[in-house]
Amino acid sequence: MSQALVDLVRERFPDAVVSSHSTRGDEVVVLKREHLVSVVGFLRNDPAANMKLLSQIVAIDMLTYRSEMTGGGSIASNEAPAYDLQKKQLVEPRYYVAYNLYSVTSKKRLRLHVQLRSDDLKVPSITSLYRTANWWERYCFDMMGIEFTGHPDLTRILLYPEFVGHPLRKDYPVRKRQPLVPELEFPDLVRGPGPGPGGAGVPMSQTQVGRKNGDPSTYD
Amino acid sequence: MSSLPILRRPEGNVPEGASYGGNGDENMIPALLTRREDAIGFFEKNISDALGWARANSIFQYPFVTACCGMEYMSAMSGRYDIARFGAEFPRFTPRQADLLMIVGTINVKQSPVLKRVYEQMCEPKWVMAFGVCASSGGFYDNYATLQGADRVIPVDVYVPGCPPRPEQVLDGLKILQEKIQAQRHAVATMERDANAHTRKKSFLGKLLGK
Repeated sequence: MSQALVDLVRERFPDAVVSSHSTRGDEVVVLKREHLVSVVGFLRNDPAANMKLLSQIVAIDMLTYRSEMTGGGSIASNEAPAYDLQKKQLVEPRYYVAYNLYSVTSKKRLRLHVQLRSDDLKVPSITSLYRTANWWERYCFDMMGIEFTGHPDLTRILLYPEFVGHPLRKDYPVRKRQPLVPELEFPDLVRGPGPGPGGAGVPMSQTQVGRKNGDPSTYD
Repeated sequence: MSSLPILRRPEGNVPEGASYGGNGDENMIPALLTRREDAIGFFEKNISDALGWARANSIFQYPFVTACCGMEYMSAMSGRYDIARFGAEFPRFTPRQADLLMIVGTINVKQSPVLKRVYEQMCEPKWVMAFGVCASSGGFYDNYATLQGADRVIPVDVYVPGCPPRPEQVLDGLKILQEKIQAQRHAVATMERDANAHTRKKSFLGKLLGK
């Protein structure tokens, strides 16, 4: 649909483009990280592209891509990750950041990808080009821990500052909770972690035991 | 009636309300004067009933509306379902003037200190209603960001299930809460004399009256 834009980027920045493909009618250009700002700036200001709207910046974790869960025993756990990282071959590059651009005049979309290895999660910030990138980059930092170099205020945007870790990463424990106020005793584990049956002296039902041990056959 | 005889309580474990003695004289003594605990209990029950009636039928609510349940709250408030029929029509938008904290919607972990603070700002006596399944148990938000039920942070009196609950359910919950308030006993300040009263230092007026 917007193959002309891909060709334009390829022609203008021949050494910045790693690859390009099309998924479900959307053109995707995979870029090298160091050329991101110049390519985005070109697409924004060039009259042929004229992509004045940055729809989204999202980060994707590819840890469990095309592989089944090895967890099961750890679904209901508070601490252990849902995916057994020891048994799993890490996919590298594990993360990528996707920029969805839109041209209001020509009604064309283009998606830019930047791939990141898990030991080097740094991307140059594009807040100088799009002001909306400020919050999107804070969002990616909050949820995935991507570090945007040159961002004016890279702090958590949705979660509280006391939160440890980045919850949308695939290795974040599914049922891990980080309460801000000390929680009252509650004789119930079905609702998820918290001061559980031990504290209140109420024995667990078989379903609760099964849930705690992550046995899916006991789920109702 | 120069002096009334004082009935002594019998020794041992005697069931409440049993008649003592048996020669007939004791049973003639008015109960209010002879059985002090009964007298206090009678007084306390009347006071409790009156206070419960007054409190249950004039609930000032503070709606802590955070999510979509607020739509059903508005419906329950307004003309068609008309929560005012049950004496709870007046929402106060400061917790300091409210009796009932209605937690309407999902409570995030980030919000939980705010909720706790709002509850602490309310004057006694106070009651809490968890409005909808998110406030009751976290609902389907079984994730890192959501408090798994408001009762993890503050005590809750009534849970109204539903996602969101129908206004009839809210009215039902309110009536259950009214029954609870009506049935509460309010202990009257004890009339027992302080055991150390005679050793306590008395004021001048106390000395004068103590004679």
